[in-house]
Amino acid sequence: MTAILEPFKAYLQKKVAITDDQFNLISDKLKVKTFDKNEMILMKGEVLSNGFFVLNGLLRSYSIDSKGKTHIIQFAPEQWWLSERNGMFNEASEFFIDAIEPTTAITMNRDFMNDAAKHVPCMNDLNSTMLNNSIRFMQKRINMLLSATAEERYLNFIQLYPNLTLRVPQWMIASYLGITPESLSRVRKDLAHKHFRP
Amino acid sequence: MQMEAKTKAVSAILNAPAPHMVGDGFRVHNFFPKGYKIKMSPFFMLDYNSKIEFSARNEPRGVGVHPHRGFETVTIAYHGAVAHHDSAGNSGIIYPGDVQWMTAASGILHKEYHEEQFTKKGGAFQMVQLWVNLPAKYKMSTPKYQDVKHSDMAKYNLDNDGGVIEVIAGEYNGIKGSANTFSPLNLLNARLNKGGKAYFDFPEEYNTGFVIIEGSVKINGAETAKTDQFVHFKNEGSKIELEALENSVVLVLSGDPINEPIAQYGPFLMNTSEEIQQAISDYNQGKFGYLEE
Repeated sequence: MTAILEPFKAYLQKKVAITDDQFNLISDKLKVKTFDKNEMILMKGEVLSNGFFVLNGLLRSYSIDSKGKTHIIQFAPEQWWLSERNGMFNEASEFFIDAIEPTTAITMNRDFMNDAAKHVPCMNDLNSTMLNNSIRFMQKRINMLLSATAEERYLNFIQLYPNLTLRVPQWMIASYLGITPESLSRVRKDLAHKHFRP
Repeated sequence: MQMEAKTKAVSAILNAPAPHMVGDGFRVHNFFPKGYKIKMSPFFMLDYNSKIEFSARNEPRGVGVHPHRGFETVTIAYHGAVAHHDSAGNSGIIYPGDVQWMTAASGILHKEYHEEQFTKKGGAFQMVQLWVNLPAKYKMSTPKYQDVKHSDMAKYNLDNDGGVIEVIAGEYNGIKGSANTFSPLNLLNARLNKGGKAYFDFPEEYNTGFVIIEGSVKINGAETAKTDQFVHFKNEGSKIELEALENSVVLVLSGDPINEPIAQYGPFLMNTSEEIQQAISDYNQGKFGYLEE
């Protein structure tokens, strides 16, 4: 096993009781890829047959509407997964994926989890926990987009992605939150007025 | 018997690393900490915008609103002009020869752009931005500015029409710079005429380096360095002789190292990772104030 996979092994071992030997059994199916800043990884209409686990850098998935406006679905900084689930069914993607920063990510084929579980049964538990977490995350995100104020959305965002405010431009955060950049600016200004003590 | 003071020997003469853009207004070579692993504390970072031509245009190039905490930014202009604004309501313009010493300390938001007239005319642009670390006990002190205008800068005239040493901070032959610092350091601009000589005496433990802004120089009668190179010195000996082989400008940095742990993330420079998390959280919650883009 190459040293570059160590953070991924440590991540798995925090979640499930996978031994070093078991990890070695499944790790030959993993590939490490690097992406340049702004590199396109997936275009709408293509079929994505693999998922990503980010080791370093920052990926995003997004759609572009009929007016040409970008809507960010998800950011994936270090230790985040990113995939496009139509690909699991061999269907064309509705989303784009690109790298916001120079990025190193582990890629794994869509069958990776099922294959890994044949050798290492605890990977099944991990897979179902991760799917549940992902659904829970999406449910919260839908509720936020339907019912929360701009400030609530922003406060939730800085809990979830504390350092992204330093890594991505304001308009991307606004796009993720489903608010205008002006509205995000107003939220940040209001917070500063509440909290700034010169 | 009198001990003869030892020469502070050159450790390395370093070429400028490949440049990268900071925003769209600054094309900088980072000599340290990423470019070269050299001991330069209390100076934490040196971004050097070597001389380049910017074309004329209407929209100023620069860097948008960003925070800082835990250190000082020192901007030294050689060509071109930079306008700045911050969340405390300060603003100003840094013209060639001027120095802006901003103590970010507990936290400030600022933005830096090419000055309006310079943007419209275009022309040569050359700057240095230094990050000077703060001792732990001053990291959360109140932010402040010190503007050191070229016309007011303390100067020492060298013998034999050798040129002038401008003292930004610290001292040179008894002439003290106006910028106050939180730890002992010297920051000087040596503007030498061809053949001019300057002599420096910095304690052994002081980390010391020269940025050759313009011209070419001979150091300690031996090594030569030219425009855009960085001369790093050993922590041995104290005396340095600088001789200009042509009209030259040299930025001289020398300071007492701050021997404390370092935790850095982006624009924050603290002592522990908990303090970094706190800085990120404070920034997100508006505790650095607000500044319009």
